[in-house]
Amino acid sequence: MAINLVKGQKIDLTKGRSSLSSIMVGLGWDPVATKKSGGFLSNLLGGGGGGADVDCDASVLLLDENGKLTAKENLIYFGNKKSKDGSVVHSGDNLTGEGDGDDEMINIDLKRISPSIHRLVFVVNIYNAQKKKQDFGMIENAFIRLVDNQSKEELVHYNLTENYAGKMSLITGELYRQGTEWKFSAIGEGASEPDIGSIANKYS
Amino acid sequence: MAINLSKGQKVDLTKSNPGLSKVVVGLGWDTNKYDGGQDFDLDSSVFLLNGEGKTASEADFVFYNNTTGAGGAVEHTGDNKTGEGEGDDEQVNVNLSAIPASIEKATFAITIHDAEARGQNFGQVSNSYVRIVNGDTNEELIRYDLGEDFSIETAVVVGELYRHGGEWKFNAIGSGYQGGLESLVKDFGLNS
Repeated sequence: MAINLVKGQKIDLTKGRSSLSSIMVGLGWDPVATKKSGGFLSNLLGGGGGGADVDCDASVLLLDENGKLTAKENLIYFGNKKSKDGSVVHSGDNLTGEGDGDDEMINIDLKRISPSIHRLVFVVNIYNAQKKKQDFGMIENAFIRLVDNQSKEELVHYNLTENYAGKMSLITGELYRQGTEWKFSAIGEGASEPDIGSIANKYS
Repeated sequence: MAINLSKGQKVDLTKSNPGLSKVVVGLGWDTNKYDGGQDFDLDSSVFLLNGEGKTASEADFVFYNNTTGAGGAVEHTGDNKTGEGEGDDEQVNVNLSAIPASIEKATFAITIHDAEARGQNFGQVSNSYVRIVNGDTNEELIRYDLGEDFSIETAVVVGELYRHGGEWKFNAIGSGYQGGLESLVKDFGLNS
């Protein structure tokens, strides 16, 4: 049974589960349903970008022990889907976020993660947010979940419940080493950075 | 050289430091490195407890709105609203020899102001510590780094100074609680 996390909660992932290695990190979100009433006019006037699809992208920052992104290759996103050591693989871009379940998935082999990497930060941001005048106020039901690829068991599930209006990026959670174990922390913080490049700069 | 404590450890303070009376209890923390849109305001407070482990009156609860207690022997130097920068974020001056005999323990806590409304908890706080410094020489005597123990708690009891025979000792507690400062206030016997 999955553990449902709340914001800030940290749990040990590998302790007592030493065989765990291959996990799937699923990120999901839904576009806020457009209001039916007055839809015609607001569509015509383009009321706050309501008409256009919101394209969210999931990415992972692989950070060193000081929390720094030391190389461009350590940013895993739709343009760089696989880490050098092969431990982190992004399964590809989803352009609309429609439908149930995970919208984007990242597979991780914990045992293959390079020893220099201590922290994996999972970010969702809105593609072209500034240009399209979109923000996370137009997104709801965002979550991050971790599944054991072998048993298909959902290990943890974290629903991001706050109102992230005005934010163009969302730090969902992070996997981090503690001693010989891996832990997961539910972060759920919005960020004002308009794209993944400026998020990456924050960690450089 | 400071003694680094681990959780649950108890050390003697006055026995190994004869003549020691004035100490500074420094509390420090770093808050969320992510842009949560809300400031973190952590508060330290001191509960002056009697033999039953309770505060005898509101005067024995020392915090940002009541900065002195124990007849002036315990003095909170004031609120820090951001936790930014290195070193102690808040400090409490304690004159051990002036603490009235009715007080057996001084328990130090850190809580998050308005945690519930701001959706904050100690999972977003790191590098918390408490240290005890000799007020006369500025020498650090004891240091306790709380480590990675906290998650969804909104209050942490970091440690306590307590009488043992004729001496004062320090106990590294490091226990987290949900319910913020209010729950601690109730636990220690105040109804406000």
